[in-house]
Amino acid sequence: MIRKLLTYLTFPIIFVWLLITSYSSSKRKPDSAMELLTDPSWLYDWPKWLDIPLMKWINDGFKVFNEEYGIYFEYVNNFLLGAILSLKKFLIMLPWPVVIGLVVAIVFFSSGRKVGTTIFVGFCTFFIGFLHPRFWDKAIETTSIMLIGIIICILIGIPLGISMSRSVRVRNAILPVLDLMQTIPSFCYLIPGIMLFGLGAVPAIIATVIYAVPPLVRLTDLGIRLVDTEVIEAAEAFGASDKQKLLGVQLPLALPNIMQGINQCTMMALAMVVIASMIGTRGLGDEVLLGLQQLNVGKATEAGLAIVLLAIVLDRITQAYGQKIQDRNTPPK
Amino acid sequence: MKLINKVLAVSAISLSLMPSIASADCGKARLADFDWSSANVHTAIVGFILEHGYGCDVEVTKGSTTPIMAAHYDSQLDIVTELWYDNIIANYDPVEEAGIIRNLGINTPDSQQAFYVDKTTADKYNLRTVMDMLDPEIAALFKDPENPAMGRMTSCISGWTCYTVNLVKQRVYGLDNYYTNFDPGSGGALDAAIAGAFAKNRPIFTYYWAPTGLMGKVDLVRLKEPPFNDACWAAMSQVVEAIKADGKDAYTPTCASEYRDMSLDKSVLTAWADTHPAETAFLEAYSLPTASVNALLAFYEDEADGDMELTALEYLENNSEWKSWMSADVAAKVSGAL
Repeated sequence: MIRKLLTYLTFPIIFVWLLITSYSSSKRKPDSAMELLTDPSWLYDWPKWLDIPLMKWINDGFKVFNEEYGIYFEYVNNFLLGAILSLKKFLIMLPWPVVIGLVVAIVFFSSGRKVGTTIFVGFCTFFIGFLHPRFWDKAIETTSIMLIGIIICILIGIPLGISMSRSVRVRNAILPVLDLMQTIPSFCYLIPGIMLFGLGAVPAIIATVIYAVPPLVRLTDLGIRLVDTEVIEAAEAFGASDKQKLLGVQLPLALPNIMQGINQCTMMALAMVVIASMIGTRGLGDEVLLGLQQLNVGKATEAGLAIVLLAIVLDRITQAYGQKIQDRNTPPK
Repeated sequence: MKLINKVLAVSAISLSLMPSIASADCGKARLADFDWSSANVHTAIVGFILEHGYGCDVEVTKGSTTPIMAAHYDSQLDIVTELWYDNIIANYDPVEEAGIIRNLGINTPDSQQAFYVDKTTADKYNLRTVMDMLDPEIAALFKDPENPAMGRMTSCISGWTCYTVNLVKQRVYGLDNYYTNFDPGSGGALDAAIAGAFAKNRPIFTYYWAPTGLMGKVDLVRLKEPPFNDACWAAMSQVVEAIKADGKDAYTPTCASEYRDMSLDKSVLTAWADTHPAETAFLEAYSLPTASVNALLAFYEDEADGDMELTALEYLENNSEWKSWMSADVAAKVSGAL
């Protein structure tokens, strides 16, 4: 009871402290605080001194952060860039028919040998280069950036989703952060990203992760919580430990949802492609941007279609795989 | 189109910003202001002097180029404190010839576009001209992380003419053997890249322009190029247009020179100038060096938090050159108001 009261008390204290700091740090406050009592005009329009200096705090904090720790971000930058460049180099080195063949093979096996999907995806892949020869290498560049982004998303998203499903506290703490990540305009973190990592692919990957990871986290959490309690009880009855329960029962049964999360993650990552090109990331996005800046509608649409085709290819691969697991999980009738 | 301009202009005018102080001497002075910072700074300083020195009833109207200039041509705004004359010659000249407006000369001697290197690196390796950059060891300082064999020249935004101009210049100067023509994607990203390099004390080789707020905050050294020359620029422009139409392969060897430094001007309604000779003389004399404008822009963005009057006060309190633009008693009045 007393503890609860104390927690409730902290909020007004923080609020009053914020009011006092914003008043005392304002450049536009009246000469003396007494004026506020004698002249009530500040009650009509929002007073200029009633302004949290959040901007200043963020700017100062970011400046110090960048100067002190900027060098570590360069290590991260070099590491990620190395990964992207080697993946890109490898894919570009392959002859294009081999790449199409690889995509076809992946779809064929991940979809459980569905011929129709496979042929469709094969044609979509072919059409990316068919639209404009230049698009082929650009699409590979975009794909390498996205693949690295999605790997990071999976590494972060699935453990986070699991921990959310196991603890209400963790979920309550993480949900508002996910809301923030999904709604804050991407330029708010793109610009500091450039200052930390420099122009190019790495800030784009960071932005992609921030934007694309929430659905994966949410769907992992949801998938695990949706696992039938009776199944869990059965597992417990057989004496399964927590770890066995998670790895042997919950995760496999949640896999269709998790695959759906990865699929959503991929689609959202593709949506970032054009925005990423506004911070100097090479790929299909910069073709769209170039088309727009030259008022060349045809060029922009052509590149936009190539992004759609790439999306279809990646969507079908992840969807088909999720469907296959789903089929396996449902008991035959 | 004209009607739309008029409607826009009228709606812009209804948004007058500054409160006015009535005075008998000068009457109304309707100042035009634009939606970029350097214009805001000039308008703030001119507005302050007209209001406190000449007792004018100052009204400021802010908007984008097309509606504001349309209102000026239409005699609805008396004074334009920053005129990008080179960009609007075709519209401006006929109105001036008709005697409606008058160009009052330079407000900032040069707006610059050029290749820059941060001062620390420039001093350390004695980089003064673009030709000094032609050295594999220098290029290694500006290593492009995405293409480690080359240096990175952060360039203009792809799709803007300056990107292609920089591309041609690189080829003509031979810079393309050592540096990539890196497209930052957008103006904000270019600013952030420069600011980020300075925050981390990293060398940067970049295309940039002035007057801008960032230029007042960072120390960039302009690299010398062959001096501007009309014939050379015309020849280069043809190659630039060819590349824009047909891609990089359309490059043919050509001549290249530095960007032309454009002067920014001031403009006034002839009718207003005729009835306000003293004020017009002041406006004619008004001119700020580019470096001061850059510094003021940095102050305007960082310290003054976008407050025009505070910026004007900052300039007037810390400089005295402005006293020579007006008679002693007017200068005294302005000083008294500080």
